[in-house]
Amino acid sequence: MRAKRSGMSRREFLQTSAALGVGTLLSPPLAGLSRAASRDRVMILQGISLDSLNPYAHSASPTYGIWEHVVEPLIEVDYGRMEYIGVLAESWEFQGKKWLFHLRKEVRFHNGAPFTARDVIFSINRMKTDKRSLQGENFKDVTEMEAPDDNTLVVMTEKPNAVFLDRLNNRFMISKAAFDKSGEQMDQQPVGTGPYKFVSYQRDGNFVMTRNDDYWGPKPEIKEVVYRKVGEDAGRVAGLLAGQGDVINNLPVDEIPRLEAHPKVRVEKVEGLRMYFLAMNVQHKPFDNKLVRQAINYSIDPQVIVKSIYEGNGYVMNGPVSSNVIGYDPKFKRYPFDPKKARELLAQAGYPNGVEVKLYFSPDRYPKAREVCQVIANQLLKGGIKAELVSQEFVVFWGSSGVNGGKLPFYYVGRPATDADTVYDQYFRSGVTKRIAYKNPDVDRLIDEEQRTGDQKKRAALLQEVGRILMEDVPLAPLYTLAEVYGTARNIIWKARPDEKILAAEMKIKA
Amino acid sequence: MAWLRYLKIWLGGAIVLLLVVCGLAAPFLAPYDPQEQVLEQRLRPPGWGSEAAGAHWLGTDNLGRDILSRIIYGSRISLLIGAATVILAGFLGCLLGAMAGYFGSFTDEVISKITEIFLAFPFLLLAIALMAFLGQGLVNIIVALMLTRWVQYCRVVRGEVLSLKERDFVVAVRALGGRDFYILLRHVVPNTLASVTVIATFAMAIVIIAEASLSFLGLGVPVSIPTWGSMLSEGRSYMYRAPWLTIFPGMAIFITVFGINLLGDGLRDILDPKLRGQR
Repeated sequence: MRAKRSGMSRREFLQTSAALGVGTLLSPPLAGLSRAASRDRVMILQGISLDSLNPYAHSASPTYGIWEHVVEPLIEVDYGRMEYIGVLAESWEFQGKKWLFHLRKEVRFHNGAPFTARDVIFSINRMKTDKRSLQGENFKDVTEMEAPDDNTLVVMTEKPNAVFLDRLNNRFMISKAAFDKSGEQMDQQPVGTGPYKFVSYQRDGNFVMTRNDDYWGPKPEIKEVVYRKVGEDAGRVAGLLAGQGDVINNLPVDEIPRLEAHPKVRVEKVEGLRMYFLAMNVQHKPFDNKLVRQAINYSIDPQVIVKSIYEGNGYVMNGPVSSNVIGYDPKFKRYPFDPKKARELLAQAGYPNGVEVKLYFSPDRYPKAREVCQVIANQLLKGGIKAELVSQEFVVFWGSSGVNGGKLPFYYVGRPATDADTVYDQYFRSGVTKRIAYKNPDVDRLIDEEQRTGDQKKRAALLQEVGRILMEDVPLAPLYTLAEVYGTARNIIWKARPDEKILAAEMKIKA
Repeated sequence: MAWLRYLKIWLGGAIVLLLVVCGLAAPFLAPYDPQEQVLEQRLRPPGWGSEAAGAHWLGTDNLGRDILSRIIYGSRISLLIGAATVILAGFLGCLLGAMAGYFGSFTDEVISKITEIFLAFPFLLLAIALMAFLGQGLVNIIVALMLTRWVQYCRVVRGEVLSLKERDFVVAVRALGGRDFYILLRHVVPNTLASVTVIATFAMAIVIIAEASLSFLGLGVPVSIPTWGSMLSEGRSYMYRAPWLTIFPGMAIFITVFGINLLGDGLRDILDPKLRGQR
């Protein structure tokens, strides 16, 4: 007798698919399906997930968010007060080329081993040496690390590095004891100090965690947390509405009205950290001329873009960095929208008939880039700047024949930061990248000094001064930051974070 | 049923003619400037004068541009790319195909191998690769599509020429001392025109869809030129809220391709000797 090839006959298959088809058609009206979230289990649907269990083979904000349940960093950013606060470190001192960390006592890993300075040294060394690690760059100037006792860590750097805390943000600590026991196999059963313990993981499937009842900090309310990857925006929205997920990220702004009207879900948003701007490479004509760069700033009205294209879910920037970034100056003032003034400046710069430029962008990298750039081109035209739009694949746009080769004179870009230093260093300091090719000895000197200044207030003041110079010189036209928009089950009490992390330990369930 | 055969030609021809008129007279027919953005009036539904002045028959898009005007202007691009590609590819394909068929031996071998190499790649994939390499642009898209379309002409013409060159009238010309190129151009190629016309009409429909696909993927013509494919692409994220952004350009593509296919089908019925007199 011939064996049945599949577990389902043709007729069964047709019946099942017909039933599924009808089910799919009916599902939108049956909104009542979505259930309330419970304290036993919260399901988070996210656009991206982990590609492997290697704790350092990634560098994207949403994946940091998944890992932070299990493993913890020394420090993190308090976005309310805009300063660094301790997690596994209790306090720290900056002494020239030396950083001294006092670590939290009585912290234990999930495997029972105590957390010590030796675990930190082990973790940082692994970030630097693991071939698959994408986080080693942050410690390239670290020359030596010592553990004088269990709770003290000394880090020596090549030269004084006042922004070391920023580099420690999102760097998670793993257990040396686990490595001593299982060696390379330790990644199969991740062990950390976090509020949740690892249970299971399937690639492109679920990442399951359960509450750590021996956690050193406040005990989370939710018992089990599951992350699932759902890449398509529409898929996540459908998942939330059908009650398969309790929290979803990257909700498209067009879906906000529909979700707000829904009885079982709510929309949660917060200003994100990605700052969008038009970059001008000053090596290319006509952007070598400050007046032209100012004219471009006078011709742009980001308020209109935020209002129409993003339906109000954005925040206009008043300076080279946004207001939620260390180094922001409340006195920053953006150039007003004044096309007439732009034309005057162009005439002064020797372009009485206006200029013709090309504006480059990558349509799939940033939300609605294609629409935004069309509006910008339209606005620039009123200021006497004729911009031809060139859309490029992101690899081409970002590669050595594009932005990073210094080949693009004028482009639309977004860069996330919690500290202005990361953006200023990368874009505006001589010789760091070719992206803007801007050279200004004053800016270089200030960044140098800022990176050596341990006093965070003084450092912020130096960054503000860089910002003022940049606003006068404008090798960029600041635009806006966008809202990070989430959808959640209505009974979850949770405040979205600007850094794109969804942390179950911060959630409460309304009874 | 002879009238049905002509109905196809009449109907198809009428659609194509309408399209040509649309493309040529776009500035007179379009009620608005296709590029004019009125952000306050974005995503307006289709309407007939209900709001007095400023009504948009087919609605407005995500930047407040008039959809009808953009479709009318978009027909220019579709037609231009369709016609240019078909003519250029036809010229190249016929030339190489006739040479391969007529001269045979080594020439045939080389040309046939080249066509086989081109045929080995899926059509759209090859076009995408070429566009990624050439970059955006109207001329580039025509070149890319031409390089992927000439093969079909080449194969058909080669086959026809193979049989034509042994016919008595060709042998007679050769016996009278006619030179190769004279025979090719004067006596052989004109006899292949019927099949070439049929291929060309079908190819045009395929090319219009290909252009829309490339524009949809962001690889087509520059953003500042309205095309049906890029309209679909931009309207995609508004499908739930403003379906008219995708419905109308989609219909424009559908009707155009339908018309051209109808015309091609009708022509084939008349010109194909194998089908002649069958009904």
